[in-house]
Amino acid sequence: MTLLKVSNLHASVLTSDGAQPILKGLTLEVKAGEVHAIMGPNGSGKSTLANVLSGRPGYTVDSGTASLDGQALLELEPFERAQLGLFLAFQRPIEIPGVSNMEFLKASIDSLARARGEEQPNTASFMKQVRELAGSLDLDPAFLKRGVNEGFSGGEKKRNEVMQLLLLQPKLALLDETDSGLDIDALKVVANGINSFRSADSGVLLITHYQRLLDFIVPDFVHVLSNGQIIESGDKSLALELEAKGYAWLT
Amino acid sequence: MANLTLPTTLATPKWLAGLPGAGSLPELLEQALNSPAHRERWKYTKPAPFVAATQRPMIDPDISGKTQSGVELNQSIDGPLEGFDLNQAPEAIARLCYADRVMTLDVSASTDEPVVINHTGNTRPVIIRVGVGVNLTLLENAKAIDDAQQSIWIDLAPNARVQHSRNTLDNAPSHWQYLSVRLQAGAQYQLNNHVAGCGSRRQDIHIIMDGRGAEATLVSAGKVDGKMALDQQVTLEHRQPRGQSKQTVHNIVANGGKCTFNGRIHIHEGAAGTDAQLSNKNLGMGEHATINTKPELEIYTDDVSCSHGATVGTISQDALFYLTSRGIDRTAAEALLSQGFLRQCIVGPLADQALTALVGGAREQS
Repeated sequence: MTLLKVSNLHASVLTSDGAQPILKGLTLEVKAGEVHAIMGPNGSGKSTLANVLSGRPGYTVDSGTASLDGQALLELEPFERAQLGLFLAFQRPIEIPGVSNMEFLKASIDSLARARGEEQPNTASFMKQVRELAGSLDLDPAFLKRGVNEGFSGGEKKRNEVMQLLLLQPKLALLDETDSGLDIDALKVVANGINSFRSADSGVLLITHYQRLLDFIVPDFVHVLSNGQIIESGDKSLALELEAKGYAWLT
Repeated sequence: MANLTLPTTLATPKWLAGLPGAGSLPELLEQALNSPAHRERWKYTKPAPFVAATQRPMIDPDISGKTQSGVELNQSIDGPLEGFDLNQAPEAIARLCYADRVMTLDVSASTDEPVVINHTGNTRPVIIRVGVGVNLTLLENAKAIDDAQQSIWIDLAPNARVQHSRNTLDNAPSHWQYLSVRLQAGAQYQLNNHVAGCGSRRQDIHIIMDGRGAEATLVSAGKVDGKMALDQQVTLEHRQPRGQSKQTVHNIVANGGKCTFNGRIHIHEGAAGTDAQLSNKNLGMGEHATINTKPELEIYTDDVSCSHGATVGTISQDALFYLTSRGIDRTAAEALLSQGFLRQCIVGPLADQALTALVGGAREQS
């Protein structure tokens, strides 16, 4: 079953010099149960793809389509995309002082439950679940009382993203450089979290610079993005080849 | 601009006669009212109605916790407190003169229970004297439905500690609160100030660091929604060495509200080693909010650490995207963010009531 279908997507980022085209006809399909890795040099459009799919302000879609589970995505508000089952793990998670992590997570899970016509979890069992997830990612449960990402180290922020992924259980996870800034121990913790999310019903789109992450999360497909298009696709061996040769031989 | 005049001739109470130049107090007050500095303080709120109202009949505030040992009500006043300042607050001094009597609260021993002052209307001035080394929790609520004024002076003896929480959440047509605090050596004072706009609300806060090593903290959260107004004028004077002050003031101004904040830090000559910080952040929401903010620094000594900043902004689009990317709809996300902005400054024993009034719900325990 196809979860994510992106067809001939052209998109631009808005800058002070006007709209700069970044994605130039990107086509991609992720089926349930699959993990796809997208690699590519700086500026190739990896993060733009994640941002455009999740509806971040500051980008325009020039042409093309994208759908999640058969439903068109690109006209929807970010919260509607999330309610359909899309999740973006941020490359740089945002700090929000004054809104506690727990309050934020409860608001999120309640919104998703309402949108899906499901019962909202009761507070006590919800808090227990969150604490357990935090523990599994080596996050001190005390962080739940603090402001969202407030004063977190880079590694804590990334682990918090993975904790949200595990809590919210989306259909499709877009992970934007979730490995960047992590030491090897934190990388393993994060990779374990992502691996535990993998299931026959969900898909993962993993954006990364480095092959290193793929030692821990073995992808079904590896794509090379260059100048806004996928120029090469293969299996895990493509990532190893890129590691050995760099991107120059492809671009 | 027409000169401001006091409503009728003032009678100077005997105990105020010791003020410098108080022999001709009425004249001095009129001069002070019309001085350029005073005009500047009242630039964004019309002073005439407030000055005229200084002579309105006054009632006692309700005070609980007054029967605790170490607390004495209405002792005699021997003379003006240090820190009474004609030029800083001529209207407040005028209220002392118009009042048929002035209330005093002397706290000579640390109390188990807080002292609570509830203002249900236009209340008599209160002078609070806190003894050497005494710990006091002071709670204050303003709950007037009609035009009201309150003026309070607090004097902290050496090493006294006062935790003062104040909720001003009523919807009076017009309301003026004057608060003057003087800290002697080693004294510590914290004000948790929670305030909603009203027809025309004015808060004057004057904190004087008058002893070595005094520490003052002001944390304030305000919300001015709809056709409401709030004008906050804060002066923090460091007169002695090694004082520390920190002020954090967050205000939300929404849907036609008008908010003014003027925060002046004055570091006198000789106040070496002072550390003074002031941050005022304003969040504008909806249409036609008016925000005036002016941090001011006057520094007359070297060897001080001083920072001040003021920002006026709207809800962060990055934060909004982060919340909405987790399935929270835009309206709910905006509410969470604005609540979070205020919550950073809602603390202390009156926080729950303030949270309900200002952000619409107490913090969920976790």
